[in-house]
Amino acid sequence: MIHMQTLISGFKTTLSNILNNKQTFFLSVATITISIFILGLFLMLFVNLNGFLSKWNRQVQLMAYLNDDITKSQREALVDIISKSPNVESYLEVSREEAWAEFQSNMSENLKPLLDLDFNPLPASYKIKFHDVENRLVFIRELSEILKTKKGIESVEYGEEWISRFEKFMVFSKVFLFAMGGLLCFGLTLIVSNTIRLSIYSRQDEIELMLLIGATPRFVKIPFLLEGMFQGFVGSVLALFLVGGVHYYLKNEFQSSLDSMAIKFNFISEPFLIGLVGLSVFVGLMASYISTFQFLRMLNKK
Amino acid sequence: MIQIFDVVKMYDGSNPVLDNVSMEIAKGEFVFLTGPSGAGKTTVLKILFGWERFEKGQVLVHGINVGKLTHRNIYTLRRSMGVVFQDYKLLPNKTVFENVSFAQEVIGRDRKTIRFKTWEALKNVGLSPKKDIYPAYLSGGEQQRIAIARAMVNEPSIILADEPTGNLDPDISIEIFRLFEEMNKKGATIIFATHSQDIVRLGNHRVINLNRGKVVAS
Repeated sequence: MIHMQTLISGFKTTLSNILNNKQTFFLSVATITISIFILGLFLMLFVNLNGFLSKWNRQVQLMAYLNDDITKSQREALVDIISKSPNVESYLEVSREEAWAEFQSNMSENLKPLLDLDFNPLPASYKIKFHDVENRLVFIRELSEILKTKKGIESVEYGEEWISRFEKFMVFSKVFLFAMGGLLCFGLTLIVSNTIRLSIYSRQDEIELMLLIGATPRFVKIPFLLEGMFQGFVGSVLALFLVGGVHYYLKNEFQSSLDSMAIKFNFISEPFLIGLVGLSVFVGLMASYISTFQFLRMLNKK
Repeated sequence: MIQIFDVVKMYDGSNPVLDNVSMEIAKGEFVFLTGPSGAGKTTVLKILFGWERFEKGQVLVHGINVGKLTHRNIYTLRRSMGVVFQDYKLLPNKTVFENVSFAQEVIGRDRKTIRFKTWEALKNVGLSPKKDIYPAYLSGGEQQRIAIARAMVNEPSIILADEPTGNLDPDISIEIFRLFEEMNKKGATIIFATHSQDIVRLGNHRVINLNRGKVVAS
């Protein structure tokens, strides 16, 4: 366990280190701020796209179009399959006439003369709604595959292609976000570890003296570890304020347009905010650990 | 008790700085470690407080095998020692009081004890009136007295002094030497490295003479 006095002494030394190396400290904090800002922006974009996809997914329903010559027993068999499928919330039978009437009512007045047909080209269908559960799309897909093979079905639709594309895009975005996060963390580790190294070298005589008079390696390391963590914390908090500013601006500019699509432009959620600050603090800690470890190893190699 | 057996230390892998050096120093003894520059005096001291590693031999301090200590536990050995250097090794941004306190902060003493012990140590070396002054404003002799106060403040059983009078006038050197003798009278083992025969003649103590990395007389 770390002795309280060691920690207090560590805090004091950290403060003194920062005051003695203000320029490098601010340079390091600025680098962290920029990196976390970029990561935060992408995260905000990702969170919103993900929310959009979830909302869209919740609205997806399965349309099973029926053959015009479907028999009564085939209909009953279909209804049996649909009603017994897991997670089906409800289903609605839409007759050819209802479909035609709905189609016409949704048509613009100017286009109606073009549809002056003397027959109804639309098939009857089942509109199937699913419960709002996780893996909802999996259940939709499964039922869709089953229905496709049944007699009396003309075709089955639920915007599969679009959803699949969007899902692929989201997977790509996730990979991109992780890769970018990894690269930025790697870069930050190098930069912060160099700043801490400068801090260590500016106090080299003091550190050597500490070790000579019986300081434990932990006593020597603590101020530098705290400095790295502090850099990470300050940098990430500043970055999140900047991301907040961008969010405020974008919301003011574009929220009215998004309202018409019932989409809300959200800020990064609390767990992600804590995660970003935590990541930044961890990177600071690791970077300073590397520097102090290397320095002490160099001294011990004598 | 300090025991050094057949220690060999090389810096460049060929010419030994210490060549099969052996010596024994009893508890409470005052020993001069003498010899010309480059004889290996400083290296012996550095090995004793675990700052330098050695290629061959064995070093025991209070029965602890110094060669077996790692960077994680070497501090236990160093806490039983006080070290005084020729160049004082004071922290310029700390006052006299803070320099002496620092040695106790490092080992985790509580604030009250630090204050009391620092006062006592400064009184012993006659520097209490100058406690708030920075080292740069003091003479060489005064700076060395701060270093001695810092070395003695944790009441170590062994004090290693590496040419502590090397930069000082003869009169001041005598004063400093007497401080070491006083610490010895209180029970500390003293190893006093010096190349000055004048200092050696000041006291009636055993002399270990080194030359080119070998013990030539003891």
